[in-house]
Amino acid sequence: MSRIPFYLRERLDEIRQRILFETYEAQKLPKWEQVVLTWIALFSFWIVISGNTQSENLFIGGIATLVISLFMYEMLTEDIRQTGHIVEKILYISLFVIPQYLFIMAFRLIESNFKVAKHAILMDINPGIIKIKTDLHSDTGITILANSITLTPGTLTLDVDKKLGETYLYVHWIDVETLNREVAGEKIKGDIEAWLKKIFW
Amino acid sequence: MIEYLLLLLGESIMIFGTLGILRFPDVYTRLHAATKCDTGGAMSILIALAIASEASLLIKLKFLVLAFLIALINPMVSHAIARGAYKYGIKPKVVVDMYAWDNP
Repeated sequence: MSRIPFYLRERLDEIRQRILFETYEAQKLPKWEQVVLTWIALFSFWIVISGNTQSENLFIGGIATLVISLFMYEMLTEDIRQTGHIVEKILYISLFVIPQYLFIMAFRLIESNFKVAKHAILMDINPGIIKIKTDLHSDTGITILANSITLTPGTLTLDVDKKLGETYLYVHWIDVETLNREVAGEKIKGDIEAWLKKIFW
Repeated sequence: MIEYLLLLLGESIMIFGTLGILRFPDVYTRLHAATKCDTGGAMSILIALAIASEASLLIKLKFLVLAFLIALINPMVSHAIARGAYKYGIKPKVVVDMYAWDNP
């Protein structure tokens, strides 16, 4: 790679970016599915926040959230990868993915609290800033992964670096065990990334 | 019964988080302790209140929405404080700093 002339390398980079863009465009959801997913999310939020279940309240909320989701359908669902039918996808996300995520993150949260309490008592800290690689590319997926890393024990995401086709995360780790990038990535990310890749691009 | 256990867990997490804020050496390790105060302590106290309060189901759901919002906002705030401190020029006390290797 280093012996290729400069103009050829630039051209190769351009082609690689083009391939990435084309695969991303081919995997996008159609528009009405985006509108339906946004409407379901906004309407359930409306029911919980407004707090009464009379029929006229539900009717007004449904109309208002439908109008909002017709305009803002790209914000939530732009990065969701296309797999299967929409009903299948809604059932999969609401019955399988979200409870699994909440279950994993609840136990990681409790573990992280005990770990930081142990570090505060014994003061056996060994901090460092580590760079790890992820396989995700979309903005929403990287955001959820970085926030989950911050919630898991002993780690804090400092910055995200996006280069061509590859994404790196800088993670402040309170107790550095290894400097190897793959082993550190396995230890920090765990199994969150594996099923985040099923939904997001 | 379980709400007293959750309240006790929240209180003890708050105490150990405060101990961590007082004892850790620099900004970044103190942020670890402060964010654990927020997620573990405040969220378990809110869940205990949602179990113990004698209100209707939708009001209990609002407590859970508050806990969810805390879990959503807390990592963003800690990331913003850590990155702002790094960009301002506060050096971390670390054994290895790969962020400084890539951004000289």
